[in-house]
Amino acid sequence: MKIKHQLAIFNALTRLLVILILWLTLPILVENVIYRHINNSLFEKKKKFIDHLNQNEINDFIENSNDSTDTYSQFSTLHSEFLVLSKVSSKSHQKKTTFSNDYRVIEGEQNEYRILQHHFTYGNEDYQLEIGSSLSEIKDLTFIIRFFILIVFGVILLITFLADTFFIEYLLKPFYKIIDTKIRRVNQPEAFDHTPINAKSRDFRELDLVLNQMMDRIAELFKKEKQFISNVSHELLTPISLLKNKLENLLQNNSLDDNAFDKIASSLKTLDMLKKIINNLLLISRIENNQYSTDEDIHFYEIITDMQEDLQDRIEDREITFSNIMEHDFSFKGNKTLVHILIYNLITNAIKYNKEGGRITVADGFSDGAYLISIEDSGIGMDPSQIEKIFNRFTRINSDQDGQGLGLAIADSIASLHHIEIKVTSINLEGTKFTLLFPKTEKA
Amino acid sequence: MNILIVEDTKELAAEVNDFLCNTGYVCKSVHNCEDALEEVASNDYDAMLLDLGLPDGDGFEVLKAVRKTKSKMAVIVITARGELDDRINGLHLGADDYLTKPFALTELSARLFAVIRRMHGFTMNDLLIHGFSLQLQDYRVSYSDIAVNLTKKEFDIFQYLVLNKNRVITRLQLTEHIWGDILEVNSDSNFIDVHVRNLRKKLDKHTDIGWFETVRNVGYRINE
Repeated sequence: MKIKHQLAIFNALTRLLVILILWLTLPILVENVIYRHINNSLFEKKKKFIDHLNQNEINDFIENSNDSTDTYSQFSTLHSEFLVLSKVSSKSHQKKTTFSNDYRVIEGEQNEYRILQHHFTYGNEDYQLEIGSSLSEIKDLTFIIRFFILIVFGVILLITFLADTFFIEYLLKPFYKIIDTKIRRVNQPEAFDHTPINAKSRDFRELDLVLNQMMDRIAELFKKEKQFISNVSHELLTPISLLKNKLENLLQNNSLDDNAFDKIASSLKTLDMLKKIINNLLLISRIENNQYSTDEDIHFYEIITDMQEDLQDRIEDREITFSNIMEHDFSFKGNKTLVHILIYNLITNAIKYNKEGGRITVADGFSDGAYLISIEDSGIGMDPSQIEKIFNRFTRINSDQDGQGLGLAIADSIASLHHIEIKVTSINLEGTKFTLLFPKTEKA
Repeated sequence: MNILIVEDTKELAAEVNDFLCNTGYVCKSVHNCEDALEEVASNDYDAMLLDLGLPDGDGFEVLKAVRKTKSKMAVIVITARGELDDRINGLHLGADDYLTKPFALTELSARLFAVIRRMHGFTMNDLLIHGFSLQLQDYRVSYSDIAVNLTKKEFDIFQYLVLNKNRVITRLQLTEHIWGDILEVNSDSNFIDVHVRNLRKKLDKHTDIGWFETVRNVGYRINE
């Protein structure tokens, strides 16, 4: 998940939490304030009532009312308030004034009321006074407040979420630009773009600066390695050249005895091997140092046909049936010389590790839209532990072979330079199949 | 034929010098750009072997200077760098051929022969050996006007041996000449035998080829 999404989600979640807390606590706070307010007004009413009270009035209240009880009650028309005075038996332990929420039925209608209960003694009688104020309006009010809060907060949440997302996106823009132009598209240090990225945040300007510096160092290293490769090839190959030419001249000397002659010849062979190892290692270094351009058009059908012709004598010598059943004229941008070496190494291996009278089949096709070429032989094959090692430098399948085990290491380097994947499947004693999988972007 | 050898490793220059003198060329060796330019200005050479890594500059500078004059001298660039860029650059600036170090002396003589022949407008078209005539123009061989049917590779081998007659040519040298400086590390140099055997069979039909020797299991030699 990208950082902008993570930040946006985190922001949204924390905001949601705050809103949830507010949504839950705010009505309680409001209720508290309202209750206090009601309590005060009830208390005022009680005070007024008690202050004006005398025995006659009490008697009036109680006597005028229903005779069956010692109660007087009075209520407003919409039942929003009521007052009840009743005679009770002595309950001196009760608190004088209490507030509570309770339901009362007034004229057959049940409502919740905030009720003040007051006990007092007048004459020798104990009385209880109840004054109530309806809560239904208050309940409605809190509901409206909650609803309102919900909508306002929802809108706030949405707006801040969008604002966050866009702002984060805006802030991170230079970051993606750096990744894209400075890192992803740069295969070679020479291709690096040193123009500073225009970023508002200092962090990204710093990142850009550090990247530029890093790339400069890498470019320097690349240049040094290039220089080194060039020096090594010159410094190693010149003495080899000298030795080789000296020995060649020596070989023409007629006074040599057989022993000396053989020794010189075998020294020449060793020198040749040394030369090839150096050249191959240099080749790998150069490939990995990106010293080859990869913008030539390569037509595989042509390459394979030419190669078959070139290797015809070897193929015939081992009585191998070589069939090229390629159907597509696939072209590819790459380095012609290197791709030639890649395929050459695979085909010569297929010849070398084949049986007398075996076969080699070169085929092509598409798999998931990606072009592939397969080179299959009916040779000695390999077991899985051998397959793992074949692309390592200086690996040979068995020690009695000649060669240095660089052919497939080179093939591997060339393939990765061209983003070609090499797949190997092999059955011991039955044959091996090398498949070259080309990157999908190329069109047939 | 006058050849100028421009090579900073003196010992190497001396070996090449020895070899080419034995082949019948007249050679002079110099070891830096300055001397090379002086030699080119004061003497007339048919060909120059030019090493690129010289102590006082790049061999290409010498090549450029030579191509600015009217000299038709053939130039074979010798490079140890082996970089593709160098080769293209060299040919672009007017080098006739290039060789990468280390090269076989016999290969050098074959290349020299080719560039000199090209320089003279391909007037030198036939090579003669013991009654066989090699027509270089169209890769044909005949023996007293009877055509000898050779494959391209057999012709190349025959020509190479004739050009380097009286010298032992090792299998390795032949392999390198026929298949080029292939990078395959484990190339089988014995494979050349098949072609030489076929070549000999074809030549043997026409005359006794005692002059076509196998030398101590190492290589071959054609004696004049």
